[in-house]
Amino acid sequence: MDTIDNRHTSISPVAITAYSALSACGMGNKALSQALLDNQSQLTPLSLFNIPFPSFVGEIKQPLLAIREQLAEYNCRNARVALTALNDAEGGVRVAVEQAKQKYGAHRIGVIIGTSTSGLYETESAYGVLLETGKMPDDFHFVTEHAYQATARFIQLELGLTGVCYAISTACSSGAKAIAAGQRLINSGLCDAVIVGGVDTLCRLTLRGFRSLELVSSKPCTPMDKNRHGISIGEAGGLLMLEKRHADNNSAMKVLAVGESSDAHHMSTPHPEGRGAALAMTNALQLAGLKAEEIDYLNLHATATKINDSVESKAVFSVFKDQLPCSGTKGITGHTLGAAGAIETIIALIALQQQFIPGTQGLKNLDEDCQCQVIQDPLHKQGLQIAMSNSFGFGGNNASVIVSL
Amino acid sequence: MIKQLYIKSAAVCCPDSELLQSFDLQGSDIEKSLIPAGMRRRTSLTTRMAITAATHACAQAGSDAQYLASVFASLGGEIQVTDALCRLLPDDNELLSPTQFHNSVHNTTAGYWGILNKCQAPTTAIAAADDTFAMGLIEVWAQLQQNNGERLLVCYDELWPQYLAPPIGLTAFACAFVLSTEADQSIGAITMPQVSQLKQQSLQVDWVKLTESAPAAAVIPLLLALQDKQPGLVALNIKAPLWTSQFEV
Repeated sequence: MDTIDNRHTSISPVAITAYSALSACGMGNKALSQALLDNQSQLTPLSLFNIPFPSFVGEIKQPLLAIREQLAEYNCRNARVALTALNDAEGGVRVAVEQAKQKYGAHRIGVIIGTSTSGLYETESAYGVLLETGKMPDDFHFVTEHAYQATARFIQLELGLTGVCYAISTACSSGAKAIAAGQRLINSGLCDAVIVGGVDTLCRLTLRGFRSLELVSSKPCTPMDKNRHGISIGEAGGLLMLEKRHADNNSAMKVLAVGESSDAHHMSTPHPEGRGAALAMTNALQLAGLKAEEIDYLNLHATATKINDSVESKAVFSVFKDQLPCSGTKGITGHTLGAAGAIETIIALIALQQQFIPGTQGLKNLDEDCQCQVIQDPLHKQGLQIAMSNSFGFGGNNASVIVSL
Repeated sequence: MIKQLYIKSAAVCCPDSELLQSFDLQGSDIEKSLIPAGMRRRTSLTTRMAITAATHACAQAGSDAQYLASVFASLGGEIQVTDALCRLLPDDNELLSPTQFHNSVHNTTAGYWGILNKCQAPTTAIAAADDTFAMGLIEVWAQLQQNNGERLLVCYDELWPQYLAPPIGLTAFACAFVLSTEADQSIGAITMPQVSQLKQQSLQVDWVKLTESAPAAAVIPLLLALQDKQPGLVALNIKAPLWTSQFEV
């Protein structure tokens, strides 16, 4: 523990008693796990709406559950993705919440959801009406659909919870930061259980915005490849039920720690040496009381832009050298933005549970710059105990989540 | 377990000086000189307002912003930037500005604050509609419970187009606090925010009306308690369930 500096003390793990992912891979952890094992890209041309350039995206194609009448003012694609993930029987998040309500009480269960654009997709259509008629449509509800907390509040009301509830919106690190907040709320005694995660849905602003930064690929993305050509945007909902640890959940997987940092460099470009990214990973190790060699797998942020991947590989090498098997999975799911931290933490859980290292779909020729150990094809490996997932967002906002069996 | 959070400073930035007077509050307008010209050109009213409040709060507390972790709490964040972009989207031929796009994220202010102060400490950006200030305090509370020290909490919301969620955004308001687990040089202390039995009817009518149009004005009862050195229960939001903290001098 001598690596812990005076700004950080170690933190107690919390139990992950249920989790569920809804993504382009389909509903549930099995669908995600199968896509990972097959290393099969789920990226397709965008069909949800029109945009004026070619793009492959990770789009949720399956039908989404409908929002009940009493909560109609929360109805938007983001809330429907959240509800569909919540009710997924295989993941069992809703059942875990019901049990936790009995055990701890509705006021002791928090809801912290990461999102970058919340219900912006519906707002975009409303602006079409506004510009034509001078008025927003009658069914436009900004605070309950578009505002950042809308999906978190919807989940709270849907489940009849009355405790702490807020959104974290730090761009592409949102989902990972929500996990950090959930762990702290439990450890500080403010909550006994917290539903955490990330939910983000495709919208025009994100696609056209990333396009304006010349970061959107016209083909499926190829993380860490020397010829990589940019991001494929995706959408997803990833929910995890975190609970304080006790005898009943002793065998559950755990969040050990989340390391956070800021780049203090630029709003949309990472620090050239990966200073903030490396700090997030070392902070996570310190908080978990772990040495670098104790991590068995790292899910990279690996968005497949030239600069992001190059900087991340430098940062990973500075912390782990070439000793740690790493992979980037956005070639399968797309970059699910505010949900990425939650979805990729779930990918790390699946890797531990099924004892394999996911591959890096789309990677053909590893960039010569990349010194860290990037795994191309899925690899079965015994003894995987602890995994890390990286998420880095605009504003230089970084988070690294560590989970264990 | 910490029992109280000590308040080391509180600073308000509000371009509406009459509003400050009507509540008998100290505060400043946006101070352009606090942000270098290059960054100022790229930042919105809301970011400049939040940075003005945050800079004053750090100075008053004697806290070095380079090493201070922070929580930015806002209902709508960069709503003007987002609005301007949304107006372009119906036309396929419109090109978005890359700067405006990355400036539309909720953690834009947090990002610029970190760049301005060369601060690599963690920062987060949260939102919780009417409960944004109460949840900001909760986030700070949980962070400091894990890791003693100080945190910067900034609550802010700017002017909004009135077709979005009237009357939200009729008034721009920002307030920043430096909160600490140590009592040294504190100007007051608060207990953990909790859902309270306080009745909505007991809330001050002028404050409720203002906070309906300026969500960050939820901080005002705490500011007045600090100013008057008046111990007691302070409301942290205006709609049931009401969150409160006990203020102590």
